[in-house]
Amino acid sequence: MVRVFLKDDNIVVKVPSGKTLRDIANKTGASMEFGCRVGDCLTCIATVTSGMHFLNEKNEKEIRALEILCTDSHNLRLMCQCSVEAEEGEIEISYGF
Amino acid sequence: MLGSVAKISDSVNFIGAFDPQIRTFDIIMKTANGSSYNSYLIRGSEGVAIMDTVKKEFSDDFFKRLELLCEYDEIKYIVLHHLEPDHSGALVELMERAPQAKLIISGRAVMMLKGLVKTDILFEVANTGKIISLGDKTIEFLSTPFLHWPDTMSSYLHEDKILFSGDIFGSHYYDERLFDDKVGDFDYAFKYYYDHIMRPFKQYVLQALKLYEKFEIDIIAPLHGPILRSNPHYYLDKYAQWSSDKKFRKHEFGKKMLCVFYMSSYSNTQMMAQKVMEGADSIDGIVASMYDLASLDESNMIDLLEESDAIIVGSPTINGDAVKPAWDLLSCMAYLESGGKIGATFGSYGWTGEAPEMLHDRMKWLKFRLPVTPLKVKLIATEEELQSCFLFGKEVAEITMGKMVEMEI
Repeated sequence: MVRVFLKDDNIVVKVPSGKTLRDIANKTGASMEFGCRVGDCLTCIATVTSGMHFLNEKNEKEIRALEILCTDSHNLRLMCQCSVEAEEGEIEISYGF
Repeated sequence: MLGSVAKISDSVNFIGAFDPQIRTFDIIMKTANGSSYNSYLIRGSEGVAIMDTVKKEFSDDFFKRLELLCEYDEIKYIVLHHLEPDHSGALVELMERAPQAKLIISGRAVMMLKGLVKTDILFEVANTGKIISLGDKTIEFLSTPFLHWPDTMSSYLHEDKILFSGDIFGSHYYDERLFDDKVGDFDYAFKYYYDHIMRPFKQYVLQALKLYEKFEIDIIAPLHGPILRSNPHYYLDKYAQWSSDKKFRKHEFGKKMLCVFYMSSYSNTQMMAQKVMEGADSIDGIVASMYDLASLDESNMIDLLEESDAIIVGSPTINGDAVKPAWDLLSCMAYLESGGKIGATFGSYGWTGEAPEMLHDRMKWLKFRLPVTPLKVKLIATEEELQSCFLFGKEVAEITMGKMVEMEI
């Protein structure tokens, strides 16, 4: 199980590999905001402060969307496009950027 | 005609459109005094920038005013502070007439642009700090999202000390005299606009005000209503005050507010509410209160919802639904920000008992944080069930006070 810490909500949740961040938000009642939920609107942008490598790789849509922000930051992700992809580990996420 | 391209400063003119007849704006707002779609033209030594356009039906007015001041091939930049149709309605035509112009939008507006214009348009993204030049005129951009669309930004014309704020500081108030020191009394329209448009985004208002602090502002040029030049800080201060005000004294004592709203047919949900409230109130730092939705005015609901750190809603299930006053309560959230507030639901039921789950789902869409499962009791709660209600309230209160939630899914 991977331990996901949602800093803004003070929630720690242990999840199996494959669990999406949307599902985690849904099940925990976390307050992270989603907009279009398909990687277009950037509403669900979040900063992965640690454990980025326990998440799935960015898909092309997410890469293109994040490029719009013109930032050098490598720890930004769109939560609607993320899933946990590891058997063990720790991920720390804060909403926004 | 000269008045309609009024000079805002040596290099800036108003080229927007007036809509004196509009009486309802965006379905929800009453506009007794009509409105305006403000657009501005900035002339520099090396070209012209157009700051926003107008609602599509008013494109003719916009283009006529623009043509009084410049040729289309002089336009170097078109800036859209957000893409709402009342400001982007003439964009496509303007870009056809001035194909050399570069469109400047915020990062969040990019996907929206594609949805709006259905064609490829060349654009440049502006984040905080981006600067564009018109030779002797310099425009700096500020990312001020959610005021009131996600893609909203503001800009500042350095040499003229003008803040192009976007919708923030707007009013739906038509008056061709244009300037705050010339128009009629628009105080109520200014406040009404804040209450209906900006109030749900108070935190973003405060963030924007911080960004504006670094600039010396002589004029605020919003996208609707009077241009604010007599004392811009009066308006900045008003927004700061409205976005920081606390109405209830509990916060002064460092307490967090938890409100239990309920409705009851046979006192069963009321009994639950009482125990939920007692449980919540047993936690240090929490002041818990309960309110019967049967006799609560909407204005009181809005104030209580806004000031509460946690909101617990109880409703019986009638005909497979929560009761109308519970839905009415949650519909008041349209005027408020809910991000970060804790929510929970409960209720007594006779047959099916969907109400707590339905309210829970609604609160989820309203962006409440809902860390506990809805609590249901069949008809009259037993002593043991009342104890569950107490613990339910206690748990919500503990989480409100910062208790870490740990779970496995």
